[in-house]
Amino acid sequence: MTEPGVGGVVGQVEPSVGDRSQGDGERLSCPSCSGPVTAGDRFCEACGAELAPSPSSAEAPADEASAPADKPWGARSCGECGGDVADDGYCTQCGARAASPRDHFTEQPAPWVAAVCDRGVRHTRNEDAVALHAGREPGSHAVLVVCDGVSSSTDSDVASLAAARAARDVLAVSDPQGQGTAATRVAATAKALESAADAANEAVVAHTSAGPNPASCTFVAAVVDESLLVVGWVGDSRAYWLSDVGEPQLLTIDDSFAAEQIADGVPRADAERGPQAHAITRWLGIDAPDHTPRTASLDLSGPGWVLVCSDGLWNYCSEPRDVATLVEETSRGSGSDPLQLAGALVDWANAQGGKDNITVALARVGAPVRTATAQPTAASGLEPAAYREEVPPDGNVLS
Amino acid sequence: MATFSADVYQNEFLPDGGTDVHAIVTVSCAGAGAAGQSESGDAAEIVIVDTSGSMGEDKIRAVQQAAAAALDQVLDGVWCAVIAGNHQARLAFPVGSELAMVRMDERARAEAKAAVATFWADGGTAMGTWLTLATSVFASVPGLAQKHAILLTDGINQHETPEQLSAAIENARGQFQCDCRGVGADWQVAEVRRIATALLGSVDLIARPEEMAADFEGIIRQSMSRGVAEASLRVWAPQGAQVLFVRQVSPTVEDLTPRRQEVNALTGAYPTGSWGDESRDYHVAVRLPAKAVGQEQLASRVQVAVNDTVVAQGLVKAMWSNDDTLTTRIDPAVAHYTGQAELAEAIQDGLAAKAAGDTDTATVKLGRAVQLAAETGNDEATTRLRKIVEIEDAGTGTVRLRRSVSKLDEMALDTASTKTTRVKK
Repeated sequence: MTEPGVGGVVGQVEPSVGDRSQGDGERLSCPSCSGPVTAGDRFCEACGAELAPSPSSAEAPADEASAPADKPWGARSCGECGGDVADDGYCTQCGARAASPRDHFTEQPAPWVAAVCDRGVRHTRNEDAVALHAGREPGSHAVLVVCDGVSSSTDSDVASLAAARAARDVLAVSDPQGQGTAATRVAATAKALESAADAANEAVVAHTSAGPNPASCTFVAAVVDESLLVVGWVGDSRAYWLSDVGEPQLLTIDDSFAAEQIADGVPRADAERGPQAHAITRWLGIDAPDHTPRTASLDLSGPGWVLVCSDGLWNYCSEPRDVATLVEETSRGSGSDPLQLAGALVDWANAQGGKDNITVALARVGAPVRTATAQPTAASGLEPAAYREEVPPDGNVLS
Repeated sequence: MATFSADVYQNEFLPDGGTDVHAIVTVSCAGAGAAGQSESGDAAEIVIVDTSGSMGEDKIRAVQQAAAAALDQVLDGVWCAVIAGNHQARLAFPVGSELAMVRMDERARAEAKAAVATFWADGGTAMGTWLTLATSVFASVPGLAQKHAILLTDGINQHETPEQLSAAIENARGQFQCDCRGVGADWQVAEVRRIATALLGSVDLIARPEEMAADFEGIIRQSMSRGVAEASLRVWAPQGAQVLFVRQVSPTVEDLTPRRQEVNALTGAYPTGSWGDESRDYHVAVRLPAKAVGQEQLASRVQVAVNDTVVAQGLVKAMWSNDDTLTTRIDPAVAHYTGQAELAEAIQDGLAAKAAGDTDTATVKLGRAVQLAAETGNDEATTRLRKIVEIEDAGTGTVRLRRSVSKLDEMALDTASTKTTRVKK
């Protein structure tokens, strides 16, 4: 569960790096359901089938790249005994359940942005999903989307991945400028987040099979655009801003029963441990009454980490200050590479019990992490970054 | 085109240190078609009837009618023969001195019936010779895909040694399937069951000669509806694991464990004979080396193979947990069929003890059978047991052996002991 991802995708650089346009990639079809897939995809978005790792486009001859792969599943070896893994997902020799690439995967579209998505310890499936986009220039433009599939519903693992990617694809190509002012840029980005949530919701609905428990998932997306951070969310997946020098902040307010209790004055720690703490009040899916994201924005005045995560992490560390401390202490061991740090945070959550799927997505904003010797001097004296939260009563974004 | 499915019913959760995984696998077949009409090859049917002296005039007449009824059910195009058996075996149809079979058509049917009409009762009983002749007759037609016989006897195998019968059974094993019937009270259930079990067939009692025709008709109709000539159950278990047993539990209890044929080091095949549109349940038990709590692994792949191709698969899993609410639950299907298998054993042991004059053991075993029949809701078994014992308290299994018991009732209880009721899923 905490081994490196299967399929050799660590550090994969997407073709869109640098120009913000999402390249089409080679159009292939899923050997299982014939749905469209792109070279480099690890799962079919239509049916969730695992796809064989394909050679990178640079290495693949042009005539081969457009042809469907002959072998739908790459031969896999058992992690326990080295035997062959059968199509049913278990070893043909020792019967061990083979780790599925879906159980643990990573993304790092640019050196400053990365994510790790992991099954955790207790769950049999990884219904969390993450999708990232980043410009090559550190701090230029990044999109971090996390969706947490609702485990009581069918096919949530397939739906959550499709949703995260659909939202990412919308936000990767959108370049909201507004009318040049900070306020109109925020509004335009919030509008893009709404479109992204629409796309994500459509993706969930498209992957909903008939039955009593339709697929559903949470949604949180963070857009870094130079010094502007805008987040949008539905459900209880979160975005934090962990400034190197200022007060760490939780930018999202969970759409959850626990959050409602907190609003009513119950201490966070108690509310989040209550019996219904994980009951979410809003979600994406065919049965969602409303999937308009609530949004918040922040002016990133200094260096820090944008952390987007599922409850698999914050279950064990929720208060912004605790999260900041955790990230700070963890980075001392893992170093400041966001992929290493995200992996170390996932390991930490697994060490706490790994009760749920865990997703950690990080973007490093501003200067590299300060070294351990450069202690903060006057953090409390700095102005906290401006923080606004927009919850329009009619569901529209602010104008 | 026949399609198979395999559904698994089990509690996959094992406690810390737990090793034994039990599962019921329901195998269903649909679209089987008719015997001899699949692409796999021709079907063949042999009717083997007892014409020993003990059959007498009434029973011989009933046999003639039953054989004719059976021949009416054999589909045109299916290879056919009739064997008359006493202390030796005689090929009654096709008429002639050579080992042969003929394809059924109107003319063949008329000739076969005419041959049957000449049967007379004479001589002793040596069932081994009947089986040996049937084996040779089937072998006279090359390339048969599906071979089935019906065997009727009315007496004990007196004119050959048990060893001779065993040798004949071994010679016939795997060559053809055979449903066996005994008419009247003078045959031995255990002896005939030995034949039926080895030849993947059923054993049953025909209490009165006049019931024979309907019974034969039913057997052949079922045989003709089995369009899948042969399927085998394959059980894979991981390295280091042990298959404790493989048992058919519905419609009847049959221990398949000793029938294992090795496919590879980890997989055994258990022949199940021909299939029509039907479901059969299997109880598979596997012992695994225990893993740590939180670990999951596959305990068994239970597959159906037709012509060496796997056509259905069910997965039996093991997951170690320290959650008692998960690990202490017993799957209802496993519980039900465990009880039914024990019921069959208790009845057979009880009747054997009673026959040997061991009244105490018979009372205990049959009492346990009464208790299990009540627990598992097997009302038919309870009704049959009631004819052998007086039930004082079914819940505790307290019974008394009846003083005068009809031999036929005892045999009915014995032959029906392996029939199980289906669990409500």
